[in-house]
Amino acid sequence: MYKVNEIKELIRALDNSSIGELEIRGENKEKITIRKEGTAQAAVVQAAPQPPAAAPAPAAQAPAPQAQANPQGSQEAASAPEAPQESPAASDDSFEKITSPMVGTFYRAPSPDAGPYVKEGDKVNDDSVVCIVEAMKLMNELEAEISGEIVEVLVENGELVEYGQPLFLVKPA
Amino acid sequence: MRGKLLQLLMQTSDTFVSGQEISERLGISRTAVWKHIEELRKNGYELEAVPRKGYRLVHTPNHVTKAEIEAVLSTNRLGKNIVYKGEVTSTQALAHDLARSGAEEGTIVVADEQREGKGRLGREWHSPPGTGLWCSLILRPDVPPQNAPQLTLLTAVAVTEAIKEATSIDASIKWPNDILIDQKKTAGILTEMQSEPDRVQAVIIGMGINVNQQMEHFPDELLSVATSLSISSNQQTYSRAQVIAVILQRLEHWYDEYLKNGFTKVKQQWEKLSVTIGKEITATTVQKTIRGVAKGITEDGVLMLRKPDGDIEHIYSADIH
Repeated sequence: MYKVNEIKELIRALDNSSIGELEIRGENKEKITIRKEGTAQAAVVQAAPQPPAAAPAPAAQAPAPQAQANPQGSQEAASAPEAPQESPAASDDSFEKITSPMVGTFYRAPSPDAGPYVKEGDKVNDDSVVCIVEAMKLMNELEAEISGEIVEVLVENGELVEYGQPLFLVKPA
Repeated sequence: MRGKLLQLLMQTSDTFVSGQEISERLGISRTAVWKHIEELRKNGYELEAVPRKGYRLVHTPNHVTKAEIEAVLSTNRLGKNIVYKGEVTSTQALAHDLARSGAEEGTIVVADEQREGKGRLGREWHSPPGTGLWCSLILRPDVPPQNAPQLTLLTAVAVTEAIKEATSIDASIKWPNDILIDQKKTAGILTEMQSEPDRVQAVIIGMGINVNQQMEHFPDELLSVATSLSISSNQQTYSRAQVIAVILQRLEHWYDEYLKNGFTKVKQQWEKLSVTIGKEITATTVQKTIRGVAKGITEDGVLMLRKPDGDIEHIYSADIH
């Protein structure tokens, strides 16, 4: 189940990225697809079947995507994207986020056969490894850099993540 | 000291050098010279000793010890601190520990054998003793973490050039940094980073280079996909210390260029040495398989794949076939 604010954040991350479509399947079988089109109105959010209130609102607010209008721009967006900007309502204030320091592929485990570094409910401290982000065969093992409890894993294994994109929500200890 | 003695013996190996001369040139006593010579003999070096003429080096075992590498190394920074281990779990793991405890830039861990050599995503890298180069180099570049992946392409350029310089073999690069000879893998590069959100603490570049392996050294499942410098050149054997010394020299050249002027020239040289660009390829990621034509790389080294529908997909991580 996704909150409106989380979906807004995903849309922002997509806008700052070079990817055109993002599909997320949650644990309760809900599916969210966010697709970038050539016009401002066309950024589509489909959320089914669960969060009924979540769907239409963020779509209307989605800023005009730049990637299609300017192919050069999309490359630049991939190389040096801005961190998604926080709006005051973007998150529950009591939670901290662990964000990605680079663009790359997100892995929850050190190898496909291994269990995840962390899952929801796990306690972490500053130097707990929480995931790997890979780009061009450079593996970056991210540490939590905060003590607390993992409340939510925001990204699927194998997904492309952007610079500054939130990966985990943590309830500080 | 052992490195300097070896260097002197190698330089004078077509003639004899007296104990007196060694003692003067290295600033150590005659007794110390004798002790070092005995130690070299124990380690497999053959030295001819003739009264009143001195010593002559007649055979060098193919080791990759600190002394052996130092004797042939001519870099300013990279490889100035060599940590040699006969056997190690993985050079990468040891280099991580050293980096965390503050090891200086240019520190390199070299092992004769890795029991658990690491590949990408937990895969094994076959690293038997006495054959290849298994090493991990620590860099501390002052660049933002999101630029660090460029270093993996830089390393591929340096290793490919070094192979050419040390062995005259033409190797090429498969995106992002596999080194191929006749389409078979002869070297793999795995890079790991220790970073803060806005700052790189250490980049640890792990390199596995198949140097003197023969066919029988490879497990069956690797025979069709792996090769060595020796297999690719009619079973010639190469000095592993010489090969790593040349790699470090090429790495230092490109690293200096990168820190001074950025990625542009590295990218141009990578494109020249790449076999991926222009080919129809299959990219397999954790989530999907994409076919298309490799159109080029971005200013960050990201692979641009043109799909059959004409769209360009940016590939950050994948197995390429």
